[in-house]
Amino acid sequence: MSYRPILTARIGKVDPTSLDDYVAHGGFQALKRALALGPDAIIDIVTQANVLGRGGAAFPAGIKWKAVSTEPGPKYVVANADESEPGTFKDRIIMEGDPFSLVEGVIIASYAVGAHQAYIYIRGEYPLAITRVQNAVDACYQAGMLGERILDRRYPLDIEVRRGAGAYICGEETALFESIEGKRGFPRIKPPFPTQVGLFGRPTLINNVETLINALPLVQHGPDWFRTMGPLDSPGPKLYCLSGRIRRPGLVEAPMGTTLYDLIYNYGGGVTGSGELGGVLLGGAAGTFVTADDLDVFMDFGSLREIDAALGSGVVIVFDTSVDMKAVLRRIARFFAHESCGKCYPCQLGTQRQLEIIERLAADRLRPGDLQLLSEVGQTMTDASICGLGQTAHSAIRTALKRFDFDPSTGHFARFGPPSGVQEALA
Amino acid sequence: MKDATHTLTPQQLAAVETVLARYQGKGRSALLPCLHEVQAITGWLDPEICAAIGQSLRVPLVQIHEVIEFYTLFYNRPVGRRIIRVCDDVPCYLAGSEAIIRACATRLRVDEGGGTTEDGAWTLEIHPCLGRCEQAPFLMIDDEGYGHVTPEQIADLLGGKP
Amino acid sequence: MTTPSHNNRIWITIDGRSLQVPPDITIREAAALAGVEIPTICYHDALTPNAVCRICVVEWRGARTLVPACVARVADNAIIQTNSRRVRTARRTLLEMLASAVDLSQAPEIQAMMQEYDADPDRFGPEARRRETGGVKDDNPFYVRDYDKCILCWRCVQVCAEDVQHTFALGFNHRGFDTEIATFFNLGMKETTCVFCGNCVGVCPTGALKGKRLYELELRGDS
Ligand SMILES: Cc1cc2nc3c(=O)[nH]c(=O)nc-3n(C[C@H](O)[C@H](O)[C@H](O)COP(=O)(O)O)c2cc1C
Ligand code: SF4
Repeated sequence: MSYRPILTARIGKVDPTSLDDYVAHGGFQALKRALALGPDAIIDIVTQANVLGRGGAAFPAGIKWKAVSTEPGPKYVVANADESEPGTFKDRIIMEGDPFSLVEGVIIASYAVGAHQAYIYIRGEYPLAITRVQNAVDACYQAGMLGERILDRRYPLDIEVRRGAGAYICGEETALFESIEGKRGFPRIKPPFPTQVGLFGRPTLINNVETLINALPLVQHGPDWFRTMGPLDSPGPKLYCLSGRIRRPGLVEAPMGTTLYDLIYNYGGGVTGSGELGGVLLGGAAGTFVTADDLDVFMDFGSLREIDAALGSGVVIVFDTSVDMKAVLRRIARFFAHESCGKCYPCQLGTQRQLEIIERLAADRLRPGDLQLLSEVGQTMTDASICGLGQTAHSAIRTALKRFDFDPSTGHFARFGPPSGVQEALA
Repeated sequence: MKDATHTLTPQQLAAVETVLARYQGKGRSALLPCLHEVQAITGWLDPEICAAIGQSLRVPLVQIHEVIEFYTLFYNRPVGRRIIRVCDDVPCYLAGSEAIIRACATRLRVDEGGGTTEDGAWTLEIHPCLGRCEQAPFLMIDDEGYGHVTPEQIADLLGGKP
Repeated sequence: MTTPSHNNRIWITIDGRSLQVPPDITIREAAALAGVEIPTICYHDALTPNAVCRICVVEWRGARTLVPACVARVADNAIIQTNSRRVRTARRTLLEMLASAVDLSQAPEIQAMMQEYDADPDRFGPEARRRETGGVKDDNPFYVRDYDKCILCWRCVQVCAEDVQHTFALGFNHRGFDTEIATFFNLGMKETTCVFCGNCVGVCPTGALKGKRLYELELRGDS
C-alpha cells in the first residue's frame, strides 16, 4: 500500500472551480507535452502503454485512437460520463473533484486523433458534475485555450457538455450517439464500429472518463512508466469503487491487479454486518458474483476473465453472510427490466421474464422447471441480444446461482441469511 | 388532456419563449438540451409546449413525444413541484433504503412504489442507482443530494407538513 | 469503392456445405444461395433491416454470441451453422417469450414457426405479464389498431418515417417490455400528421393494424 495516487492526486487539494488553481497544481503540463510530441507520438505512447478501456469493455485505447486518426474528417471525440452501472461512482468523483483533468484529457485525445468537435456526455443525475465540468470548459474558453486554439497552439476545438436524461442504456456507446443526436437511446447494429461510423455518421473516438484522464500522466511519463503498474496485459493505475457491507466504502486508486483481499481488508477496512464475507459483486449489476474463496484474485481484466468473472467498471460490492441474497437478485433483475431499451426481443422480453422468475424465487414460490427456464432465458439474452445490456443481464444472477450454493429443494442460498433451520422455524 | 400552458405564469411563458428563440432552427440534435431547459421552467412538458418546441427546432412532434417517453427525467404528465428520488439498488438496499422509502411514502401518503401527493407538492420516485454508493443510503431532492440518510431525517427533508 | 465482381468471390461453409458467394452479401442471402432458408419476423424486403426480432440468429464459429443473419455480412472462410442446438434454443425461447406476451392469433407465420421449434409459451405460467394496451383503437374511417397483437417489429414506424412516407405520425411510448407504438401524446390518428396512405397496414405481420372493412367483417363473423 505504498502506492501514491496519480489519477486522483489533485482531488481534495485543488479548487475544482478554478483554472488558475488547476494550473498551480500541475494542470495543462500534460497538454503542453502532448503538443510538443505531436499526434503520432501521442498515439504511439497510448498504444505502447496498452491502455485498456476503463468503461468496462477493456478495448485497447491505442487501437481506437489510431483508427480514428487515420479516418477523414469531420470526426468527433466523445467522453462517456454516463456512469450508470450500479455500484459505479468513480467518474463522478473525478468530475466533481478535478473537472479540468477531464477537459485536458478530451483536448489531448481530440488533438491526437484530429477532431475539432468534442462532447462530454454526463448522466442527468449528476448535477454537480455537470456544473463543474461546464464551468471548466467555460473557463478554458475564457482563457482563450479552447475555440480557435488549444493552450497556445492554433488548433480549432469546441467542447460541448451534454446532459443525459435518465437512461442506463445511453452509456452504451452507440445509444449515446443516438442520444446526442436527439433520439431515443436505441443501440445501433455493429459493425460498422464508431471509429468508422459514429456520431452523426462520422468517425468517432469514444472513451470513458477514466480512460481519458489516464492520458495525462501517460504523455508526461511515458509507456514504460505506465507499465510498471499492474500486469503487462492490463497495466496502469485503476479506480475501484468499494461499497456495500464494508467498513470504509469509497473510491480507491490502486495499481491494476491489486488483489480483492487487499481492496476489501486493507483499503476497505473489512466486512461489516455479520463480519463474515458472504460474497462480492464485481462489475456492478452487469457483473459477476465471486465468493470468499476468490479473495486472492488479481483485480485486472485478464485475471478475472480466467475465473469467469469481470472487472467491468471497477465495482466491488461487498456482502456479509447475513444479507438476503434473494432480495439482492430481485433488485438486479428489476434494474435490467427497467433499463432495457426494448429494441430487441431477447432483452425486451427476457428481462421481464427473468424478473418474474426471480420474484418467484424471492417469494419462495419457485415452480418446477423455473430454474431451467431461467437458464434458457438467460442464455438467449446473452447469446442473441443486440447490445451489452441484454448480453450481461443474466450474468450476476447466473454466477450467484452457480457460486452461492443455491439449493433448489429448499429455495435458499446456503451461504446467506440465518441458517436454514432458523428460517424454517420462523416460517 | 390537461393543458398546462394555461397554468404557466406570464414570467414562465416569457422564459420559455426566450429559450425557444435561442433554439430556433437548431434541429434534432438540440432536442435533449432544449427539453431540459424548458422543463426546468415548466416542471413538465405538455402537448402545447412540445408543439412549440417542435416548431422551433423543426422536429416532427412524434419524435419529441417518443424521446420524452424514453428518458425517465422527462415528464409528459404533471409531477410534483419537487421530486424526491430514492435509490433502492444494491448498495443502497444493503444500507437500508427500504426503511428510507417507507418513511418517505408514509410521510407523503403515497405508494411505496412512488407517486405524487394529492396537493401536487411532491413526487416520490424509486430511482435506479444514483451513483453515490459510497454515501448509501442516498436520495436526491431535485438537484440536491443527501447521503447516509436515516429514516428519522425524512420528516425534516420533506418539510414541516405531516 | 470497388464493385463486387465474380472474380472476388469468397468461400464460406453453411451447415456443412462449402460454397463460393459474392463478398458483402448477408448471411441470410448467402444461406439462400445454399438452399437454406433462415426464419425471420421483423425483416421486410423493402425496409431497412433493424435486426430487432433476432429470430434469424445463427452460429458463426469463433464468435462470442450468435449473429443476426439479416444484417451480418459473410466473410472469407466463415463457418456458419443455421440450425444448431444453440440456435434452436434461442429461437424457441424467443418464440415462447413472444407468444406469452402478445396475441398471435392472426399471425399464422409465427404460429408455424412455433410448431417447427416446439415452442411452449405456457412454460412461463399464468402470471407471465402480457402486453395489455387497452383494447382496439378505432379512431378513423380507414383502419383500426389493436396493439395487444403488436410484436414491435417496427415496420409501421419505418414506413411512416424515412423508409417510405416521411409522414412521422408514428413513434413509441415508454421502453423495455412496456414499449408501445404511439402517436404524439397518444392522440387519435385524425389529429396526427397521418395521411391515411395505408402503408403501415400493408406491412403489419400480425393483424395489429387492419383495414376498417376487414375489421368490421370479422366483428360480424364473430357475433
Ligand atoms: C448497457 C451499457 C452501459 C454502458 N455504460 C457505460 C458508461 O456509463 N460509461 C462508460 O464509459 N462506458 C459504458 N459502456 C461501455 C461503452 O459502450 C464503451 O465501451 C465505452 O464507452 C468505451 O470507452 P473505453 O474504451 O474508454 O472503456 C456501457 C456499455 C453498455 C452495453
Ligand atoms: S439488448 Fe436490450 S438494451 Fe440492448 S438493444 Fe436489445 S433491448 Fe435494447
